[in-house]
Order: sequence, then structure tokens, then C-alpha cells
Amino acid sequence: MARRVVITSYSIISSLGTSPSEVIASIRQNKTAFTRSPVDETTFVCPVRDFDIRNYTGPCKERRYLNRGAGFSVAAALAAIKDAGCSTGELNKAGIFVGAGPNLDITSEFPEIINGAMDRPDLMALWMLRFLPNTAAAVIAGRTGIHGENLTTGAACAASTQAIGEAFRKIKDGYLDVALAGGGDSRLHSGGILAYGKAKAISRRTGNPAAASRPFDADRDGFVPGEGGAFFLLEELEHARRRGARIYGEICGFGSSIGGDSLTAPDPSSLYEEEAIRRALEEAALDPSAIDVISAHGTGTLLNDVMEAAMIERIFYRDTHCSNRPFVLALKSWLGHLAATCGAVELAVALTCLHGNILPAIRNLQKPCHKGINFVREGISSAARTLLLENFGFGGQNCALVVKSGNVDE
Amino acid sequence: MDTLDEIKKILTEILDIEGQEITPETYLVRELGTESIDLLELAVAINAHFHIEVKDDEIFVKALRLHLQKAKDEGFDPAKYLAESYPALTTARIEEILADIEGGPVLKVKDVQSYIEWQTKNKDND
Repeated sequence: MARRVVITSYSIISSLGTSPSEVIASIRQNKTAFTRSPVDETTFVCPVRDFDIRNYTGPCKERRYLNRGAGFSVAAALAAIKDAGCSTGELNKAGIFVGAGPNLDITSEFPEIINGAMDRPDLMALWMLRFLPNTAAAVIAGRTGIHGENLTTGAACAASTQAIGEAFRKIKDGYLDVALAGGGDSRLHSGGILAYGKAKAISRRTGNPAAASRPFDADRDGFVPGEGGAFFLLEELEHARRRGARIYGEICGFGSSIGGDSLTAPDPSSLYEEEAIRRALEEAALDPSAIDVISAHGTGTLLNDVMEAAMIERIFYRDTHCSNRPFVLALKSWLGHLAATCGAVELAVALTCLHGNILPAIRNLQKPCHKGINFVREGISSAARTLLLENFGFGGQNCALVVKSGNVDE
Repeated sequence: MDTLDEIKKILTEILDIEGQEITPETYLVRELGTESIDLLELAVAINAHFHIEVKDDEIFVKALRLHLQKAKDEGFDPAKYLAESYPALTTARIEEILADIEGGPVLKVKDVQSYIEWQTKNKDND
């Protein structure tokens, strides 16, 4: 019989809160953290306030080598296994899969390199570790005792979704019984804002900061940078049952593809985005009509949202003859865009919402850019269980996961 | 701030050990858990902070056992040989180290302090 993969623990560090109950409370109170950037007054950002990695690690000399995104990664990984009840032996054989982004914090990290040298007293001997993508994975391994198969993915904004998908496959295919998968990222610093500002990807709206992230709205003008981290403990179903682990959901399918046609813009025909989604559905052995809820990538950029809405219509509304038309969420309207870790954090928030039987509204969606799609316009109660998560990154990196929330069917 | 206080501050930061007592007699490896990667950072921080040249072996008594082996192989007096290798250390400290060698890495905070003060004096005399 095919091996099934379940989620037996998960963590979240986000601007909406650092536990499922905090996230639910923020959503119910419509409370977000969008604010004006302290480094660029023309930009809005969505920060995680008062983050201190030592609240998760205790004293931690390795934190000097962690950029802020990697710090979120390590903190979220430790939080995910803290109460998971895995033995030292189980962790020793477990895998670690981390979605990581580049460290773009260039103004803090490279203030003045002259003739190849930097005259700065706090420049560390191993400063470069702040740039190596696998530093977070190494610190997580050192702190958790996880020593099995591992992978650090760098698939831009699909990186953490890919990390979860690859971990799922390693368990499904029998290489691992247990894996920790997720990511952490932060692009709120001036280097991040410079980079995405030059690419004309971030919102330049004025006025209310909480109105700037508006996925699928006709007046959208770009994304709002966010930050945070989330990790999932994935486990083979029988392994989880034997140790009596609580089951939060099941990963049923993963799909990925690479478009590569444009290095940044989504393909308007969304050929390969669609391919990733169809592969995930196929692996889950589900018809599009079986999907209750889609957590869209929904960045609030002009190009992504028009492409994604047309694709959702094509896969889930036109080609299916079933009356079940999935609800569409866009969690970036609550969190901002968490870059490499958007998938992990959005999955953690979506799973939390499904457990709480709520579907949060797409905030600021006043005039939908695409007609006939079941965008969630006001928060609703729902017993929806089957979720499709979509994330698309620069380079045409496309990933999709099919996840069923709650305990598994017998 | 005197040299010792500055060393304590640097060690506390690099090892993330706020609140832990550090005295001249504290062992860096045996008591504070300093690893080779931390010594690398410590050398860079001391160089940047005190503006002195930092020779890894001399400041951290790194190659102690190699020097002793060499002294033995070539028939030199160990204490004299070490005194030449580690000019910042006093004769008394070298005797102490030789008596302590079975207990593990001998490096103490006061050795780092001696090196910094010795190098600072050399620099001032230049």
C-alpha cells in the first residue's frame, strides 16, 4: 500500500501571531501589522514585532551567523518540534528541508567594501555564513539532532513550498519516516525594498498602510514585503499512529514545474503554473472538483493576479462539470509577501483557519480583477477540508500542494 | 575599561553567555565551551578591538602539545622551549601550564589578557 504522509506538528512565526490561537484572534479582529517602512517612507511593510530568536533557542552563539530570515527559520523549526514528542532516535534519522532566500540586506552587510576590504570592527571571521543558504539548516540540525537526508531549496518565492513538497516525497517514497520542512525569510530591510522597488514589484500606494496589499483587486499596484517563518513535522502515517502522535492534516499531493520563459514575469498563458497544479492533483488522485479551498499565490502584483485568476477559472471553473467551485483565499492580504517562506507560512495560516472552521476574507478586495471566481469577500464559517496551496516564484518556479486538514480518514 | 573587562565583554558576546562569571582563571574551552570556530571569531574581534596583530598559536596557546613534542624530540628543556614559543607568558604561568596539561586544554582568560598586553606594549615601543 502507498505510504501516506501526515502533519504531526507545525509552527508559525508571523505578523498575525506566533501561535494558531494568536493568528485566529488577529483574523477575527481584522488586526494586521501593515505599517510604513522605517527605512523607506514611500513603502509599506508587514513586520513581525519583537522577534528575538533567543526566545526559541535560549543562549545561541550561532545566531551571529543567521541573517534575519535564517533566524526565523531556525526559530520556527525549533518551535515545530518542541512539543512534537519525537525521540532522539527518531530525530537522528529524520530529514530537514528548508526553503531559503538570498540575504539582500545589503546596506547592513556591505556598507563599504573598498579594494576588496571592509574596515569594520564587527566584521566576523565567518561573516560569509550569513549568506550561505544552508546555514539555517546546519543550525537546525545542530540544535535538534536531526541528521538524515536534507535539502535547502532556493526556488525564489516557491522555495518553502518546494521544501515541503520534497520532504513529502522523501517520506512517501520510503527514504524517510520523519522530516521537518518549512522556511523563514525577511525582505523588509532597505536592500530588499531597493531590489523589489527597482523591479517595480512592490506597492507604492499612499494613505492607509493596511490597504496596500490587495490581491485580485482592480486597484492593486504591487506586493507589500512581509517576514516570518513556519515549519511542519511530516511523518509517515503508520509511524505517526504507532507513537500516538496528533495528526493535523495530510499532504496528499505535490506538483512542481519550471517555466523559465521570463526570469521574473509570470507566463500569461500560465502553462507551467497549471502543470504544477495538475501534477499535485494527480498525485493526490483528486479531480479539481474535490478541492474546497485554494490558497492562491495572490501577490497583489498586476501580472501575477491576472494570470492566476484566469488559470483558476480554467482549471476549477470551466473544465469541471461539478458544482463544487472552490473558495479562493489570498493570505498575502493579511501577511504581506514573505518571499521564500510565503508558502510555509500561508500553509500554516490556512491550516489553522481550516481547523478553526473559518475562511478569512481577501482584505481590500473591492473590485475583483476577474469575474466569476469564488473569492472569499467576507470571512465565513466553513467546514472545508481539502486545500490547494499555490506558490510561484521568479524564474518560473511553480509549486502546488494538496493538503487535507484534520485527522485522516480510516 | 581595562583589558580584562574588554575581553570579558567580547567573550560574552561571541559565546552568548550573558551573566556567566568570567575571571582571569576561567578556562576558555574547559569551562566556557569555546570551540575552534569561536576562537576564529575571538581572534578577529581582538584584532579589531585592540588594533594589535593576533597570532593564533601565541594568543590561544594552540600548538602547545606540538611544541612539547618537538622539545622532547630535540632534547630541549620544555619550559624554556615554551617560553620562546610563547613570549607573552610568564615563567610562572608556563610552569602552571606544564602541571595542568593532563586536565585538557589549558587556555585561560589571563593568557589572552597577557598576550594582548604584551602585544600592545610591543606596538607602543615601535
